[in-house]
Amino acid sequence: MSALAERPSPAVRPGAPAAGGRWEPLLPEAGRVRSMLGVYAQCFRTSVITGFQYRVAHYFYMFGMLAEPIIYLVVWSTIARQQGGSVDGFTPGDFAAYYIVWTLVRQMNIVFTPYGWEWRIREGQIAGQLLRPLHPIHYDIANLGGWKIVTIVLWLPIAFALTLLFHPTLSPTATEIGVFSVAIWGAYLVRTMNLWLLGLVTFWTTRVSALFEAYAVVELLFSGRLVPLQLMPGWAQTAANVMPFKWTFGYPIETLTGGLTDAQLFGGLGMQALWTTIGAIGVAIVWKRAVRRFTSVGN
Amino acid sequence: MPESTADPVIHVAGLRKTYKVPEREAGLKAATKSLVRRKHRDVRAVDGVSFDIQAGEVVGFLGPNGAGKTTTLKMLAGLLHSSGGDATVLGFVPSRRQKDFLRQITLVMGNRNQLEWDLPAMDSFELNRAIYRIPRDVFVQTRDELIDLLAVGDLVTKPVRNLSLGERMKVELVGSLLHRPRVLFLDEPTIGLDVTMQKRIRSFVAEYNRRHDATVLLTSHYMADVEALCRRVIVIHHGRILYDGQLSALGHRFAAYKTIEVDLMDASADLTRFGDVVDRDGDHVVLRVPKAEASAVTARILSDVQIADLTIEDPPIEDVIELVFAQESAE
Amino acid sequence: MVKQGYEPTPPIRRFEPFRPFRIAWIYFRVGAMNELQYRANFFVEVFQSLLSLGVGLAVLALVFSQTSTLNGWSRSQLLAVLGVQILIGGFIHTFVQPNMTHLLADIREGKLDFALTKPEDGQLLVSVRDVRIWQAVDMITGTVVLIVAMLQLDHAIGVVDALAFLAAIMIGGSMFYCFWMVVTTGAFWLVKMDEVVELFEGVFQSGRWPVGTYPRWLRLGLTFLVPIAFAVTVPAEALTSRLNWQTLVFAFVLAIVFLAFTRWFWRRGLKRYSGASA
Repeated sequence: MSALAERPSPAVRPGAPAAGGRWEPLLPEAGRVRSMLGVYAQCFRTSVITGFQYRVAHYFYMFGMLAEPIIYLVVWSTIARQQGGSVDGFTPGDFAAYYIVWTLVRQMNIVFTPYGWEWRIREGQIAGQLLRPLHPIHYDIANLGGWKIVTIVLWLPIAFALTLLFHPTLSPTATEIGVFSVAIWGAYLVRTMNLWLLGLVTFWTTRVSALFEAYAVVELLFSGRLVPLQLMPGWAQTAANVMPFKWTFGYPIETLTGGLTDAQLFGGLGMQALWTTIGAIGVAIVWKRAVRRFTSVGN
Repeated sequence: MPESTADPVIHVAGLRKTYKVPEREAGLKAATKSLVRRKHRDVRAVDGVSFDIQAGEVVGFLGPNGAGKTTTLKMLAGLLHSSGGDATVLGFVPSRRQKDFLRQITLVMGNRNQLEWDLPAMDSFELNRAIYRIPRDVFVQTRDELIDLLAVGDLVTKPVRNLSLGERMKVELVGSLLHRPRVLFLDEPTIGLDVTMQKRIRSFVAEYNRRHDATVLLTSHYMADVEALCRRVIVIHHGRILYDGQLSALGHRFAAYKTIEVDLMDASADLTRFGDVVDRDGDHVVLRVPKAEASAVTARILSDVQIADLTIEDPPIEDVIELVFAQESAE
Repeated sequence: MVKQGYEPTPPIRRFEPFRPFRIAWIYFRVGAMNELQYRANFFVEVFQSLLSLGVGLAVLALVFSQTSTLNGWSRSQLLAVLGVQILIGGFIHTFVQPNMTHLLADIREGKLDFALTKPEDGQLLVSVRDVRIWQAVDMITGTVVLIVAMLQLDHAIGVVDALAFLAAIMIGGSMFYCFWMVVTTGAFWLVKMDEVVELFEGVFQSGRWPVGTYPRWLRLGLTFLVPIAFAVTVPAEALTSRLNWQTLVFAFVLAIVFLAFTRWFWRRGLKRYSGASA
């Protein structure tokens, strides 16, 4: 006798179409805001756990990034000492403080790059993202956000060591520390929006690297990453005020080191919010177009 | 010229390879203990293997994953140092990796390419010509012969990364044989390829062996590779040789049963009294009977039952091998 | 008793000191020819090279808006340092780094066996088989910057300085090769070496300034650990007539030592890879 039993008659399926012909989902839907917070919390948690597992690789990565600020620090301190102790009001101690805080802000600035987008498209991950009921940027923000928490924790010993080596002069007030803690996340959000926008260009061209490199150079010069913005010529400082880069780099550092007034401190947070909003609107518009292009052109 | 007392091309005696594997139990306490003192376990990948292979033989190494086939192959190619025993290939000690030795062997590994990824295969062939010091006229002749034999003429000008898996394997073979090696080490050469390509590769190796009298050592866990190419097969399991001899005799030695397939005239007939019924589909019945009783049972069926057709068969080689391995594991 | 082996035709008996160069040249010719057809990459490389140069020049401009010398180095002398750094960087990205990343991948994926069954020295093969010819644009950029810097200097360079520069560049280049080779050989023991590439790029940027600028502890690291001092500062010193011959001789001896160590380390790595008893 064949092992195959006879076919069972199809059972009555639950949620059969109502009179209108539409099928109901099998599960009831939870609240939207609560679900989104749930996604964030879950992604954060997973990232933090994974991040701590990969701490050795993470440390290597962070060490590699120390070279840049140390080089700048050494060069400018040398100049300061040569010019009789300070350059434009910056003493070697001030430079040390600037560049040490720089190392943390640099880490907070690391977000998904256009190269990552190229990889995503090549590996065929876009389709998967389109199938999810939540805008993919939330996953990026949440996942990387978790990594940032790990980074902050791992950074503390590095900061301590750098302090011993370079003797920064730093005495921030409580307000400044508070604003700083918010500003670094603001920087993270502004840069996420900017680079997401840039990354979406990969849906239209494969040669996004040239565009990204050019962007990186402008950002390098006008964000306060190369030197404290006060040391740049006047026209550059004015230009930096209208571009978003200052608010991702120089401003967060200066909340802690620059002795800013309360107006400047909170005004800066406002600028970060402004640039985040502008970026978000840009992302919303371009993402729709990118999806349309992707679904019409294919992989 | 008759070479009845010729030296074997490959001579292996008591070859062993033992790995020290760090051992650690799960749990935090064991982990901290292992920081201080590492405990090691000996894994005998190859455990006293001996055989001789004459020139022109195509020998298949058969065994499940982890049996020791690839380890043996690597020791013969000079890539691994043995932990004991002797091995000579073409009169050389492989692990010394002398240049005159390396020029006469070739290694082909399934799923892994040694041709330069970004270059067209033709360019890689030129590189091999320089490395193996092949005289130009010999090189051109050999290359063209191989390209022809494998029908890859239109593939060799494309970068290797643009070729499909099977196409890559074919050009890989061309590149590996340009220097007319006497000994071919093929490690799972058909793994991951579709059936047509597998057949193509097998027929190529057979033809190559026929034309150039090259000695081929082939490892595989595909029975079909071995059946198609090798008259002699060495079965390895747990680092030891279970069988070394003709493939055709393998079944005789290890199979303890035969299968009798019967097409009945009367679909309701019950054959369970004759032996194990392993399959029944309408009027087609498959019986398994002990080898010794096969002819007697057949006679009884023929006399007692109305049948349309009857076939007696040896069990498929795969089943035999599986049984052998299962027995070994059970020990 | 091992019988005399089968003989291939023709057997290798000759003493061939130039064989490694011939092998390197063949790989270079084949690889470069192939890459040259992808002309779009040329423009991308030029663009990136110019961007990077632009940043370097902007920094120099900023620095010299505040001061006229840095640690005793004038502006055009620092321009020479920048030129050498770009030149050496181009050399590394063209000839050294592609081979090292290839080797790392081979060790990880078990493909090193192929290089080891070839009848040529394994270290030679894994060091010369790859070339990224378009990265050589940086070598051109660096040379141009050097020439501009030379023209701006108050005094012309003599033949001795030029020869010293060439010697210093070759010494520095081989030291960098040794550094990369030793680090990559470390993958035989610790398979996860990829992060080191990240580390290197960052540290290499320090070559844009003479190593004397850095605090003592950093200077030592940049001399003996990552040989930036010998690869960048010393050749720049040669060109700007700041080099004394003792330093050059010391560099030469050190390079020989590094090369010998690299060879030894590679063989140790191979022994481990092939499971030979130590």
